[in-house]
Amino acid sequence: MMPASGKGVASVGKKAREPSKRGWAFAAAALVVVVVLELGLERMIPDSSIRQLLMLAACNVLVALSLNVINGMAGQFSIGHAGFVGLGAYTSAVVSAHLHEAMGGGEVTFAKSFVVVPIALLASAVVAGTFGYLVGLPSLRLKGDYLAIVTLGFAEIFRLLIATAQLGEKETIGEAAAKIGKDGVVGPFFHMLQVGITSLGGQNGYAGPKNQGLPLYAGPFWVFGLALVLGVLAYRLKFSGWGRALRALREDEIAAAAVGVDPTRYKVRSFVIAAVGAGIAGGLMAMNRDGTPTVQPDNYNFQASFDAITMVILGGSGSVTGAAIGGVLITFTVKAIEAVQSTRVVQDLKSSVPWLDLNALRMMLYAAVLIALMIWRPEGLLGERELFQKQKLRPLKLPKPSPDHPKPDEPDRAPAAAANEPAKPVVAAADEPAKSDGDEPEKGAPP
Amino acid sequence: MRVNHPTRAKAVLPEGAPLLEIADVRVSYGGIKALKGISMKVMAGEVVAIIGANGAGKTTTLKMLARLLPVDSGTVRFRGEDVRDVPTEEIVARGMSLVPEGRAIFPNLTVRENLELGAYLHRDKVTMAETMADVVELFPRLGERMVQEGGTLSGGEQQMLAIGRAMMARPELLLLDEPSLGIAPKLAAQIFKAIRTIAKSGVTVVVVEQNTRMALGSSERAYVLRTGEVALEGVSAVLAEDPEIQKAYLGG
Ligand SMILES: Nc1ncnc2c1ncn2[C@@H]1O[C@H](COP(=O)(O)OP(=O)(O)O)[C@@H](O)[C@H]1O
Ligand SMILES: [Mg+2]
Repeated sequence: MMPASGKGVASVGKKAREPSKRGWAFAAAALVVVVVLELGLERMIPDSSIRQLLMLAACNVLVALSLNVINGMAGQFSIGHAGFVGLGAYTSAVVSAHLHEAMGGGEVTFAKSFVVVPIALLASAVVAGTFGYLVGLPSLRLKGDYLAIVTLGFAEIFRLLIATAQLGEKETIGEAAAKIGKDGVVGPFFHMLQVGITSLGGQNGYAGPKNQGLPLYAGPFWVFGLALVLGVLAYRLKFSGWGRALRALREDEIAAAAVGVDPTRYKVRSFVIAAVGAGIAGGLMAMNRDGTPTVQPDNYNFQASFDAITMVILGGSGSVTGAAIGGVLITFTVKAIEAVQSTRVVQDLKSSVPWLDLNALRMMLYAAVLIALMIWRPEGLLGERELFQKQKLRPLKLPKPSPDHPKPDEPDRAPAAAANEPAKPVVAAADEPAKSDGDEPEKGAPP
Repeated sequence: MRVNHPTRAKAVLPEGAPLLEIADVRVSYGGIKALKGISMKVMAGEVVAIIGANGAGKTTTLKMLARLLPVDSGTVRFRGEDVRDVPTEEIVARGMSLVPEGRAIFPNLTVRENLELGAYLHRDKVTMAETMADVVELFPRLGERMVQEGGTLSGGEQQMLAIGRAMMARPELLLLDEPSLGIAPKLAAQIFKAIRTIAKSGVTVVVVEQNTRMALGSSERAYVLRTGEVALEGVSAVLAEDPEIQKAYLGG
């Protein structure tokens, strides 16, 4: 931080990078909280459906945070985010189930989760990130609607490949792989892929290699802990040089390129980062301790992608804290609507009016909430701003005018460099007459 | 403005060699020929103006120099090196910065963030802070508006921000595309004064302008573009007296 006296430019560059004491205290407190939740959530909240809801909310926060990198920060438009979430979910499901078997099965313990969860999530991140890269490539040539169609196409292909796989002959992947090379390469390779996809259970979902249900290793420690850690990372990303370049690209591609930002690299990387985040979120959903012990293709349909977009827009596109709030609110709203659906009144109504479609009712309520929001807060709850935003409040990084440093708007201002600063700026201030020159601000003054 | 490029150790420019030299450069947009073989030379330390009517190819020339447009044919040499196929970020790193046409700032980013992006290729924090102090010295108004969003600045201030952002890269050659466009005359004069200050500090400047009087008044030499070709070139003061130029561009 700046010294109180504000001495010279040299001090400006030395903004403390080391994590502050407060940062460490915060991290320690967070660690205690997630461990306590891990061990005591069952006792605190006996109702498992509420626990499931809370953990789902945390996963959805990650979904929204990651989509925000593409839709909010990079200004691209993806409507297939559920595809990455689903990839992550299936990957973690397969990896964790096999790891569990390899470790001899048995009980799912907190200790074992330290082996299973990191490996499974790493696999999810790698798989989803790879597909993020592939889907991101077209973003270099496609804009707006066209890119949106590519992302949607990817998500639907992924889902339908799994959902429509015919469950037939019982052949293992190993047996199928062994055939590669014997009679051709391409044919047997695709056969192996088919066997692999088929083993994911089709429409009914995947429940482990022996169909006994997935081992659910991700307790509150992992779910809330990662939501917190990745949330902080996403926040830092936004204000890092990288995030700044990304936002610059969104605002003006030519100007961004002119300062040396390579649009190609940034666009693709934003897709990869978003896909990795979504993959981790999906992995956590699949292994969620209070969730169902299967993963099903329909959990990652267009509706899920749409929900993710809603979370980002609701919170404020580009805002990290906004995306987090959006993730929580949408999770609860969807649940609340489901709760309303199952109330006596609605059920009675349904039995007296047989043509009433409860699913349509749900969509109508959902739409009403969104329309109301767009009327009251067209930019989402936070706009692009953040809760607890330091960036805007932090005053000038430059030395404050002190008796020996004249006010900045004085034309004959002395060089800002202090005595210990060797290089002297050559440029003198251009004359700055008083304000009234008919040059009005473009927008209203900021808050 | 200190000129110093930590990102790359550069070859020394031979004595008397031009800093920028383009020869017979052609650029087209699809089938439309925008530059039909133009040649220019800019010596280190010069202020060179490019003038010409709307659509003459001035913006195209600068974008081509900043490697934002592909060159069909011809040579482009900066600091004696062929840069025809060098990507934009490399050009910036080598010391050429463009201030694009029309307030091309980042409106939803703060003034500080805009400036920091200018130093995108100079990750060194101390250097960046020093350069920012220089830029604020050049445009004190920016210093007063550091935490404001770029889009909330007035037109003139936005242009100052765009120039300041380009200066954050510590360029050796600054390319300016119509810095006075749509700006109150008084502020335009201030901006040109700042450009002269930048030039005095040793930065070479190529400025494109429709405001011919101002451009010729602030530059040493000028090129007149007409439909993608160099129609005239010479010492600015002489061109300003040229009857043809007076008739065509100076309203006399
Ligand atoms: N993106 C573009 N696509 C097609 N033609 C363009 C494009 N940009 C500029 N042109 C054409 O190229 C010519 C030169 O334009 P430009 O360099 O912008 O002129 P100036 O900056 O001198 O006004 C004009 O005829 C213009 O119509
Ligand atoms: Mg132009």
